[in-house]
Amino acid sequence: MGHSDGDHGSDLSADDSPWSEGSWSDDDDEGSLSFEDSGEGSDAESDEPDAPAVEESDSSEDEVAPRNTIGDVPLEWYKNEEHIGYDITGSKIKKRDREGRIEAYLRNADDAKNWRKIYDEYNDEEVQITKEEAKIISRLLKGKTPHTNVDPYPDYVDWFEYDGKGHPLSSAPEPKRRFVPSKWEQKKVVKLVRAIRKGWIKFDKPKEEPNFYLLWGDETDTADNKRQGLSYIPAPKPNLPGHEESYNPSVEYIPTQEEIDSYQLMYEEDRPKFIPRKFDCLRSVPAYEKALREGFDRCLDLYLCPRTRKKRINIDPESLKPKLPSKKDLRPYPRTCYLEFKGHNGPVKSLSVEATGQWIASGSSDGTIRVWEVETGRCIKVWNVGGVVHRIAWNPSPDRHILAAVVDHDLLLLNAEVGDEDAQMKTKGLLQIEELAQEEDNGDKKPAVKWVKHEKFDGIMLIHHKLSKKHSHHPFRKLPGLPIAAVFHPSQKMFFVATKKFVQVYDLQKAQLVKKLESGVREISSISIHPGGDNVIVGSKDGKLCWFDTDLSTRPYKTLKNHSKDITNVTFHRKYPLFASSSEDCTAYVFHGMVYSDLNQNPLIVPLEILRGHSSSDGRGVLDCKFHPRQPWLFTAGADSVVRLYCD
Amino acid sequence: MPKHYRPAGKKKEGNAAKYITRTKAVKYLQISLATFRKLCILKGVFPRDPKKKVEGNHKTYYHMKDIAFLAHDPLIEKFREIKVHRKKVKKAFAKKNKDLADRLLNRPPTYKLDRLILERYPTFVDALRDLDDCLTMVHLFAALPAVEGERVQVQRIHNCRRLSHEWQAYISRTHSLRKTFISVKGIYYQAEVQGQKITWLTPHALQQVLTDDVDFNVMLTFLEFYETLLGFINFKLYHSINVNYPPVLDPRLEALASELYALCRYMSSGRVPGNSEPAGLIEDKEGEDNKESSKTDESELRLAQLQHQLPTNEPGALMHLVQESTAADADDADAKECRSLFKNLKFYLSREVPRESLLFIIPAFGGTVSWEGEGAPFDETDEDITHQIVDRPTQSHVFLSREYVQPQWIYDCVNARIILPTEGYIVGRVPPPHLSPFVDNDAEGYIPEYAETIKRLQAAAQSQVLPLPSLGDEDMENSLVEAIIDRSESNEIADKKRKLEMLEKQYHDELRMEYEGKTFSNRTADNQPDVVDKSDTKEADDHMEDSHKQAEKDAADISKTLMSRKQRGLLQAIEINQERKKDKVNLLKKRKKNADSSASAKGR
Repeated sequence: MGHSDGDHGSDLSADDSPWSEGSWSDDDDEGSLSFEDSGEGSDAESDEPDAPAVEESDSSEDEVAPRNTIGDVPLEWYKNEEHIGYDITGSKIKKRDREGRIEAYLRNADDAKNWRKIYDEYNDEEVQITKEEAKIISRLLKGKTPHTNVDPYPDYVDWFEYDGKGHPLSSAPEPKRRFVPSKWEQKKVVKLVRAIRKGWIKFDKPKEEPNFYLLWGDETDTADNKRQGLSYIPAPKPNLPGHEESYNPSVEYIPTQEEIDSYQLMYEEDRPKFIPRKFDCLRSVPAYEKALREGFDRCLDLYLCPRTRKKRINIDPESLKPKLPSKKDLRPYPRTCYLEFKGHNGPVKSLSVEATGQWIASGSSDGTIRVWEVETGRCIKVWNVGGVVHRIAWNPSPDRHILAAVVDHDLLLLNAEVGDEDAQMKTKGLLQIEELAQEEDNGDKKPAVKWVKHEKFDGIMLIHHKLSKKHSHHPFRKLPGLPIAAVFHPSQKMFFVATKKFVQVYDLQKAQLVKKLESGVREISSISIHPGGDNVIVGSKDGKLCWFDTDLSTRPYKTLKNHSKDITNVTFHRKYPLFASSSEDCTAYVFHGMVYSDLNQNPLIVPLEILRGHSSSDGRGVLDCKFHPRQPWLFTAGADSVVRLYCD
Repeated sequence: MPKHYRPAGKKKEGNAAKYITRTKAVKYLQISLATFRKLCILKGVFPRDPKKKVEGNHKTYYHMKDIAFLAHDPLIEKFREIKVHRKKVKKAFAKKNKDLADRLLNRPPTYKLDRLILERYPTFVDALRDLDDCLTMVHLFAALPAVEGERVQVQRIHNCRRLSHEWQAYISRTHSLRKTFISVKGIYYQAEVQGQKITWLTPHALQQVLTDDVDFNVMLTFLEFYETLLGFINFKLYHSINVNYPPVLDPRLEALASELYALCRYMSSGRVPGNSEPAGLIEDKEGEDNKESSKTDESELRLAQLQHQLPTNEPGALMHLVQESTAADADDADAKECRSLFKNLKFYLSREVPRESLLFIIPAFGGTVSWEGEGAPFDETDEDITHQIVDRPTQSHVFLSREYVQPQWIYDCVNARIILPTEGYIVGRVPPPHLSPFVDNDAEGYIPEYAETIKRLQAAAQSQVLPLPSLGDEDMENSLVEAIIDRSESNEIADKKRKLEMLEKQYHDELRMEYEGKTFSNRTADNQPDVVDKSDTKEADDHMEDSHKQAEKDAADISKTLMSRKQRGLLQAIEINQERKKDKVNLLKKRKKNADSSASAKGR
């Protein structure tokens, strides 16, 4: 639209030159501006390549899409065609008939609105612009803004206020008066000074406010009366003085001179800080020389000591002890010493009870083995084997009275020569065969296991003697640590070996390890198995007794710390729910250990009795304990060379 | 990102973030250690014990919130101002600008602690609960020498003295003193204010020596807070009994260094203006007593009214009400007992007794007191004086109408809450042992002999006290004499009785022990008492006893085997403690026995 086609209304010359500045008048009136559509002028215009583009861009912003769809191509391509292009359906748009110049002129002259008409050669039609549009165009032509109410050059309003901001916009030098002391001020000051000197002006003293007032007013509002911040821990109050702090305490509170002297031997921190003194009368009491020091110490405590809340329990010590079932219900169990078997000259290291319970055999470190009759306490037989007897065991079968004993490094089998004649003859026969065979083993089934010192390996090797087949085999080529004790399972073909910290359960048939029980004690000393076979007790050298329920776990079901010294032996009773432990501290404990057939019920363990009587010899106490096979009796072998029998 | 990973420089969590060591705290607050210390003391911030000591065991840890609490206190800014001020003064002096220095010195920056007190003790009871240390400290400083040039300003010592006297005057006035005890360290007092037991220690009225082994800066900072606290507490207490605070004292008495008496007079006149006679004190108290009785009457009346008002089907509510009223009565009974202990007794203090302490105690228990010196309310020649407190080997002039006792008698009377017989406390004699009222003898397991005596006297007094009021006041002395005769007789009887009791008790003890043994072991229970009864042959008996003891011990120990390790340890600790206690008692018993035997040997 802005393209320069406009001419002066009076002048019809259709020159292609842009509008000349001089030809436009400055005023706004419409009459001076006229547009003329010059039909043939289109030819000339089409020469300018930018003209349609400009038109295009303008037309795009208003009203409808152009009728012609030829796009942005020079119109002169259609100069010699009958059509000017194609409409949206693709059919040709015919060119209008050219009217003659004169006709056009005449028409234009007649039409008052002619000056508002513009020929759109792209669409080949005449467009009549509105008055408003004309106005805008005229303003644009004048270089003004299209709309009248837009002011392109408003007055500048400064957003920053410079007044009083101390920005010296003026660069004028400071006047001199500003550097010269004011005469009037000086006069005023002199006046004031004089007034002060003469006391006409009095200064206010800093006001004395009342120091104290009612700080805690009404205390009804509890919400306000809460202390802010972290929880306050009040400092503990100083101890209240006792009788001994009196200036005149009763005699029993005053330590004797020896006691005061003995305080000097104590450690500094144990020494009593205050030594009571007695003064005959109040006037002789001196000033306490440590008063300031103690006050200061208290101050230090108050601001330097970390404070914490500590729960101090005040309980009856009896309530800590577990409630035990009545012992009367758990009878019978061995309680009192009934018999003493005296005869050995050295510590009795081991004892064994015959299967019928009629005789016991004991081996001592004085080199003798003795057989005793239980009921009378009479010594029936003595062998002098000439070496320390470590272990001794009866043949478990009641009709063959054979004793096995470990003496130094040898295993001895002895004919006990007790019982009726038939039995004696039988044993004799057995042992004779054995002597002929020149072997240590006999044809008897004997599930007693001993260990012998194998000197070649310079250690203790466990050798399992399979006596029936007359050969022994080594189930463990390798064991974690030294084997200490071993037992057979009472019913299954299993075998328990205790090493220093663990108990290995070994299946004899499959010849493999089944289970490994962790005791958690420092050093195992003995092991015993419950006749049921599922429960094992283990005694340790730190005085602890562990009860394992092998079905439950590989860890102890219960650990009892009963002895103050090493446990030497632990044993189960074969019939009664009893077990016992003997220790170097000269005591033996008897426990009630009930195992229920119901798997859901844990074994019941009740300590029943502490058996005393043995005396310590050479730091050793009770060395062995065994139950009677039928009766609730316990035999103990002591280091004081006595064997004792405890009965109900 | 896993939870445990923390980028470098990020804030930690847990104990590491919650607690801060002292050095770090000081750095964090940008103050000096001395200022930090002062701030902690004034604000009542103390180190805490973190569960896990992140920076090592030997360090002091503060809670981060506590430090933030300090950081936000305006006092910290005030301390900085003071520091700057001090620098200014120093600079002025260095520049020989004396005018400026004077001017600066005249207006130092000051701060007040009232806000801090309210912050630390939101309620009055809180403040009373924490008052023990405060009172002990103020009393300690009140006993220091008020000499110029010492490390403590004279003015502060005077202030402490004034505050302590004000406190004592209040306690004495309201009769709230409960227990006293003369120890080697000083005199302990215990008072009950608003249901709180407050115990403090006053040093003996002798000159203390300022030692070098204490840091006075720390102590004076504490004292600064305590002075303010006690001032406010005194204000509140005086306000509660309608007396103006600070009290204005009679300058004449003040000059004679008997502020406490002056204060007492002030307080008594504070209620009845214009009445400045010393006798007013007693009258006032009597009036108060009357009031008291009328008050109880009123409460009964009100109770009766309330019973009518209450619906009868609410016994619980009524019970509660009755309980309340009886509780108040019980409280009153205690106070009444204290108030009337020395009632109608007139004391005169000789020169050599601790005047301040006795002037405090005797009025607190309702007595009238005078002393040798100027400004005393009455003279030594006063005929009404019933007791003269002396502490000298011999008394030159003896008035027959009065008793001469040692000061300990007053303290023992106060603790026993009865008027003890005075024979033991006569001039020149060594008084009976002075026992601490703070010890629970039964819990301790050992009862000193004199405690038993006092107990018996108390029991005797309780049965005697009933007829006393009907005797009237005029023949007080007679009644006293009678009472003394009665007591001396009863003493003899009591001695005999005691011996019997001792035997009986021994028997009972043995029986009890046996009984306990019985509970321990069922087995030996049946035949044991017989064994003890027939204990003639010694050795066999010893042996038997040993075995029995062993059996008992075994029976007791056997259940120990089933205990867990933790419980066993606990039990052991308890047993060790008990053993120690027992040892102590045994030692006392042994010493007593030795002393008795040596005394009897001397007697022969």
